[in-house]
Amino acid sequence: MGLAAVPDPVFSAGMVGPGTAIDPLRGPGQAVAPIAGKIMKLHPHAYVIVGDDGRGVLVHLGIDTVQLKGEGFRLLAAEGDRVGAGQPVVAWDPAAIEAGGRSPVCPIVALDALSGALTGFAEGAVHVGDELFRWE
Amino acid sequence: MGERKVTVAAEVGLHARPAATFVQRAKLAPMDITVTKSHGGDSVNGKSILAIMALDVRQGETVVISADGEGSEEILDELAAIASTP
Repeated sequence: MGLAAVPDPVFSAGMVGPGTAIDPLRGPGQAVAPIAGKIMKLHPHAYVIVGDDGRGVLVHLGIDTVQLKGEGFRLLAAEGDRVGAGQPVVAWDPAAIEAGGRSPVCPIVALDALSGALTGFAEGAVHVGDELFRWE
Repeated sequence: MGERKVTVAAEVGLHARPAATFVQRAKLAPMDITVTKSHGGDSVNGKSILAIMALDVRQGETVVISADGEGSEEILDELAAIASTP
């Protein structure tokens, strides 16, 4: 859906970095690693995977979900783990997040990328394994 | 070398909005900006959101922000204000 539509100016204005966002299916599901690499930081509501080239991608599960202090999230991997692209990292239920009055939209951000460095943004429905964008 | 010792006040620590705001300001500085936890550890690049997130500064932790060169005092004051904003 693009970062601009994320209901949080920190993400929609690109302050964290360029990227896109996923409006997840409502219902129990698994958030996966967007790239292969090491889980540099793992919070229940957000994680950063760093690839072998040193570039990091942030996945944020819902907006203002830090306030939930982990409730409703189950870790499927550990900080420091090596993961493959598409490997499950956190189990959660976007419907429950929404029922709690928060947006379940997930920003996917290329950390420290220049704004013009991303191309080929996916549009419409995406599935695990689909390309979201290319980071040149 | 100019320095500011600051206790991070935001509930989320130096993550999310505080981190993004900090890095955005640091990037405008002409000189290098480094951030170090006051009890030791690596100095990281204050212009990298990845590095700041990796530093993982929690609420109540103290960091030392360093910069050198013309205008660094003003920049350090601004960065210290961002980091200490609740």
